Amino acid sequence: MNKVLEVKNLSVDFLMDSGSFKAVDHVSFDIHKNETFGLVGESGSGKSTIVKTILRILPAPGVITNGQILYNKDDILSMDESSMASLRWKSISIVKQKALNSLNPLLKIKNQIMDTIQSHISISKIDVMSRCNELMDMVGLDQSYLNSFPHELSGGMRQRVVIAIALALQPDLIIMDEPTTALDVVSEKEIILKILELKKKLGFSILFITHDLELILEFADRVGVMRYGKLVDVDSSKVIKSGGNHEYSKKLINSIPRLEAGKDTNKDVMFDPIITVTGLTKIFQKHSSLFSSKGEQVLNDISFDLNKNEIIGLVGESGSGKSTIAKILTKLLKYEGGRVEFNGVNLSDIKGKESLLKFRKTIQMVFQDPFASLNSIHTVYSILSRSILIHRSLSNLSKRERKKAIEKEMLSILSEVGLSPPETFIYKFPHEMSGGERQRISLARALIANPQVIIADEPTSMLDMSVRMDILDLFMKLKKDKKISIIFITHDIASACYISDRIIILKKGKIVDSGPSDEIINNPGHSYSKLLIDSCESGWYTKQ
Amino acid sequence: MNRNWLSRLCNNSKSRIGISIVSFFIIIAIIGPFFFPEPNAYVDAPLLEPSLEHIFGTTGQGQDVLAQTIAGSRSTLFIGLSAGMLVVFLGLLIGSIAGYFGGRADDLLSLLINVFLLMPGLPLMVIIAAWLPPGPYSILSVLVFTGWAWNARVLRSQVLSLRQRDYVFAAIINGESNMRVIIYEIWPKMISLITSSFIGATIYTIGAQVGLEFLGLGDVNKVTWGNNLYWATNDLALLTGSWWTYVPTGLCIALVSFGMTLINYGIDEISNPRLLSERLVKEKYPFIFNRNGSTPVVRTSPSE
Repeated sequence: MNKVLEVKNLSVDFLMDSGSFKAVDHVSFDIHKNETFGLVGESGSGKSTIVKTILRILPAPGVITNGQILYNKDDILSMDESSMASLRWKSISIVKQKALNSLNPLLKIKNQIMDTIQSHISISKIDVMSRCNELMDMVGLDQSYLNSFPHELSGGMRQRVVIAIALALQPDLIIMDEPTTALDVVSEKEIILKILELKKKLGFSILFITHDLELILEFADRVGVMRYGKLVDVDSSKVIKSGGNHEYSKKLINSIPRLEAGKDTNKDVMFDPIITVTGLTKIFQKHSSLFSSKGEQVLNDISFDLNKNEIIGLVGESGSGKSTIAKILTKLLKYEGGRVEFNGVNLSDIKGKESLLKFRKTIQMVFQDPFASLNSIHTVYSILSRSILIHRSLSNLSKRERKKAIEKEMLSILSEVGLSPPETFIYKFPHEMSGGERQRISLARALIANPQVIIADEPTSMLDMSVRMDILDLFMKLKKDKKISIIFITHDIASACYISDRIIILKKGKIVDSGPSDEIINNPGHSYSKLLIDSCESGWYTKQ
Repeated sequence: MNRNWLSRLCNNSKSRIGISIVSFFIIIAIIGPFFFPEPNAYVDAPLLEPSLEHIFGTTGQGQDVLAQTIAGSRSTLFIGLSAGMLVVFLGLLIGSIAGYFGGRADDLLSLLINVFLLMPGLPLMVIIAAWLPPGPYSILSVLVFTGWAWNARVLRSQVLSLRQRDYVFAAIINGESNMRVIIYEIWPKMISLITSSFIGATIYTIGAQVGLEFLGLGDVNKVTWGNNLYWATNDLALLTGSWWTYVPTGLCIALVSFGMTLINYGIDEISNPRLLSERLVKEKYPFIFNRNGSTPVVRTSPSE
């Protein structure tokens, strides 16, 4: 078969203060004509480094130390600057994750497409204009948007513009580096269908980079699985789907949450609400000064209860207001209308140092990004010992006894969140631990207060696939063992169904659907929930 | 990034030179005056050119220029460094309160910062310095009063951004007090910005202090670098061509500022990892590195 791109024994090093780090280690794969090749890996596995190496836009301290990259039999690694410049975009183009970063906010869409074409080929003004119109038709955007600025378009539309620019010079290979990760599930599906339709029509090849194995298995012809800079498995989607040839592929396949309700839901829920939210409204001040203010309503008449020993899944796409609810419930944000009652006490009545601290003891939070929620300058010991000092009365102990008590408590909490052996973690800095371990430390910090409620704001979305299920299971175990109620915020309805007793679906600040998990999956009450569930079910591409 | 930043600073050759220059002058300022206890004493005929007896020559008053230059360093550097520190500390305090608490407090403090930024600095400094009793501490307070606003503004915006980080929210939810969050969670993350603000402020305060004293607004009987220049013009050094009365002092001022600027290069590299990465590649492969070019290919082993 005709090969468009051949990568042979590619190695890339990142130079460091002392020595170097092998980011890509002897990787070989090839992409055939008119093929969709998926490259899957967790963060740090080297997949984005490969993309940048193919275009040779990898910045310092990266250097290519070995191998060949053949584009139609020409070695990209021995090309000079001018042939590189003509290769980029004309032969190989790229669509990146964040369309907003790829588009110039000051230029109209028209000018951005024209610039790309004119900088590579000499073409008359009329021809370039008709090419622009043609491209807009291809990606399914109205031609009138040519005169818009990027900020006037939605995320999905912007990504279509970027795809149009990538197609502008009819390249043989388009690299898609997580093109849909920043989009919600519904537009993700639309964009991918569009890309595949165009591929069929124009006959280019696709190198699709993603961390989402479930997504890539839907439509890729072949898939490569990367781990720690090595390509551990390459095969057709079918083979990978049924477990692949490597242990790691199998582990990834098994960690995809299936859309089914949890096994023992609703059994031990006590119908005794801890939190009662009625008619909650929040307006964000867009522009405020001493004299005037304008606002945007982000929460509109939100009402729900959280019972003792219950997990609620709060599902919605970005901008639906789910994180705002978390911030209001933890008193990080004020709210304008409605009532939030906590064990019968109105949240806005909790004032003063004493009662605020008492409130902090009852509700704790785990954040999305375990890199950002642990301060990089503190060790695990200093993070957790602060928590212990705040929430335990140790002031009557001597200094030595106190240190002993802190250490004892710390070891027990670390083993409770599944870090073993616990004593090896005490003096580690956040950057010395993996994402999953950091998230466990975050959870340990929340648990020290012995809270009645934990709010988990997308606790698994930044984690690698293989550890996601472990963290979800840990949350379920805590609920069972410690009788903690959990509000689980997520954009992924499958993981919400897996863990929650009840699900609330949010859209643009409003609750559109709610009910027990199995009921929501089996017969969703709102067209939006149905859409979410459909795009989660496997086989949506082949169904088309 | 924050750990080992001192050793990282010393690794950078530019900042190493800067640190040596600045510490050289600080050591001179500390021990020098003990060797020249009376810099104002009449030692020889006025306006003698540099010779073996008086290495830097003598002033129009017949004083030894070397003695005056060394003795002047103590007051000038002390006032400069402490004014720099106070300016940054005041800026940090006001900027942190405004950035952390936001809302009405921020509105009022930002207004105050803007008013101070808009006031013409030099005329205000001259007026206040003329109004206060002459002396180094008056100069110090003038410098702090007119200099804090810029740092407050810069540091406020950094606090504003750090305040939205998850680890700050996490600390608040855990029950930490606001004071503790600012001091233990936010300030340590700003160390490189605070240090470079301090260096910038010190360069400014030394220059402004010398300028005010040159205009005769300090205590002219004290020996400082600014007063040295004031007396040099008073004795018509330029007209008589006696360059040795002002060049040594001027050179010292320039060298201290130069040294401080060099230290800033090192801080730049700490707070901007990209500069460090470029240096690493440039040092290892000097002939291949091209900042705007394609990723370099260096085959360490023959391709298999």
